[in-house]
Amino acid sequence: MSTADKLMANARYVWTCWKVNLAAMEYRLSFLLLAGMMFVNNAIWLFFWSLFFGRFPVVQGWELHDVMLLWAVSTGGFGWAAMLFGNFPRIAGIVATGHLDVYLSQPRPVLLSVLVSRCSVTAAGDFLFGIAVYLMVGDTSPRGMLLFALGLLISGMLFIAVMVVAGCSAFWIGNAEGMTQQLFNSFIALTTYPSDIFRGFVKLALFSLVPAGFISYLPIGLLRDFDPLFAAGAVTAACGLTLAGALLFRRGLRRYASGNTIAMRS
Amino acid sequence: MLALQTRGLGKTFRVKRKEAGLSGSFRSLWKPNWETKEAVRGIDLTVREGETVAFLGPNGAGKSTTIKMLTGILHPSFGEAEVLGLTPWKERERLAYRIGAVFGQKSQLWYHLPPIDTFELISRIYELQRDEYVRRKDELIERFELGPYLHTPVRKLSLGERMRCEIAASFLHGPRLLFMDEPTIGLDAVVKQRIRELIRERNRVEGTTVFLTSHDAGDVETLCSRAVVIHHGGVLVDEPVERMKREVLSRKIVTLKLTEGADPAALPLIAGTRWETEEEGCRLAVDLKRTTIERVLGELIGRVGFTDVNVEDPPLEEIIKHIYGMKGEAD
Repeated sequence: MSTADKLMANARYVWTCWKVNLAAMEYRLSFLLLAGMMFVNNAIWLFFWSLFFGRFPVVQGWELHDVMLLWAVSTGGFGWAAMLFGNFPRIAGIVATGHLDVYLSQPRPVLLSVLVSRCSVTAAGDFLFGIAVYLMVGDTSPRGMLLFALGLLISGMLFIAVMVVAGCSAFWIGNAEGMTQQLFNSFIALTTYPSDIFRGFVKLALFSLVPAGFISYLPIGLLRDFDPLFAAGAVTAACGLTLAGALLFRRGLRRYASGNTIAMRS
Repeated sequence: MLALQTRGLGKTFRVKRKEAGLSGSFRSLWKPNWETKEAVRGIDLTVREGETVAFLGPNGAGKSTTIKMLTGILHPSFGEAEVLGLTPWKERERLAYRIGAVFGQKSQLWYHLPPIDTFELISRIYELQRDEYVRRKDELIERFELGPYLHTPVRKLSLGERMRCEIAASFLHGPRLLFMDEPTIGLDAVVKQRIRELIRERNRVEGTTVFLTSHDAGDVETLCSRAVVIHHGGVLVDEPVERMKREVLSRKIVTLKLTEGADPAALPLIAGTRWETEEEGCRLAVDLKRTTIERVLGELIGRVGFTDVNVEDPPLEEIIKHIYGMKGEAD
């Protein structure tokens, strides 16, 4: 089978998984409630930011408009990532509890299968919130929409890649669920604060160790004052980390120890 | 042609040993004590295509670990293996098209979806041609009698119904070799028997090689032509089930539920049998080399009052223990 055939076969498989995940959303009321609550939750955060900027209109060059764009990029990126690749925050748990067996017994790329086999219901609320906020305050010209789409792509890829890299630690240290959950929460929090409020080592860490800076600077470096250097850096970081995550996962499979827990795909 | 062959295949795990209690946890945190556990100790095994092999052993003997290495799920620590001409852990994806795997405790069915949706997904996973998929699906639905619950979410199926769907799903892509890890675990006698018949039929009709682990002597007797018993990670016995039956499976257990007021002490002594009286009923161990079930039941009727009778195989653990005993004597 040629590489192109393989890619097409994987694309068909991923498409079917997404359809199956959608079919699993039979609890419509629960779906609407969860997605709706997430939308409201995000809106409350923006309300607090509006109170803050009502008092201090400009903070390190950031205005309310920029923070709203930041939330649009962050929640929108997280939303599509968690809707389509819903298992990305759970890699460590899946590895540590030996739930990779079924994926490993099938002729498909394991990491891809794991990622697409779950859809986060609440993430639909995040995604819709991101789009709604951008339509309210963003540049809706074709150029602006394209840049926003690129921002969503970078943001979502970084969410997935960071959590895959962190989740792979379970191959080496076993129970890494707690640690990766902490990282996940911190990463989400850091992507929703303006990157310029941080200085020195923390700022350096935001663009290296915990690369949330590549998301939190997107409203400025990509959407407001397009900076080709930053855009290239963000794309490189997203692609590089995705590749690193895939390679690390592949390497980790050699150390996979399986387990004896009872498992169902849900 | 060989379906699989292993040479000195083994697997070790690093296990952290922790003393009990809080202080043990702290000590383990600062000074972890690791030890190496040998789960599978250099197994040499050959299975020909079309064979039905029972892979037996007590809990912890290394059965599931071996199957996981042969399906490419685990990388071995040492040794070699070829399954349908491929090295499982190096050519996992290619091999997966040709084999199937059923893990009694790990489901490939989507919990919230009806089995038909998982079948559809499997057709994509294995890239089945549309007409081929429809033909095989319809055939399996008919043979496994899945029609009534094909559109019911898996979470609402009984364990027996789910296992039938599970096994049918694993046959959907026409595997040449099917690995089954305790496929009848937790099922009642009727469902077990039906599942055994269906697997046997697939073996007969399509020539599928079956390699299964089980703790049920009935699975071995009904399904398998050959039994491999492992212990402490190594092969202890490898012989045809017929011979094993003659030598080891020559016992049946007859359980009687006595009528109220019947005195267990007054039970008759029957040649070739031994009474094991229990609280809830009376168990009679029957040696089939010396007598028959028919003769034993004939002797009991009229001499003992009972309301129910059940004839079954001794537990597989008991049989394996017996094999270990025999081997111990021989060695």
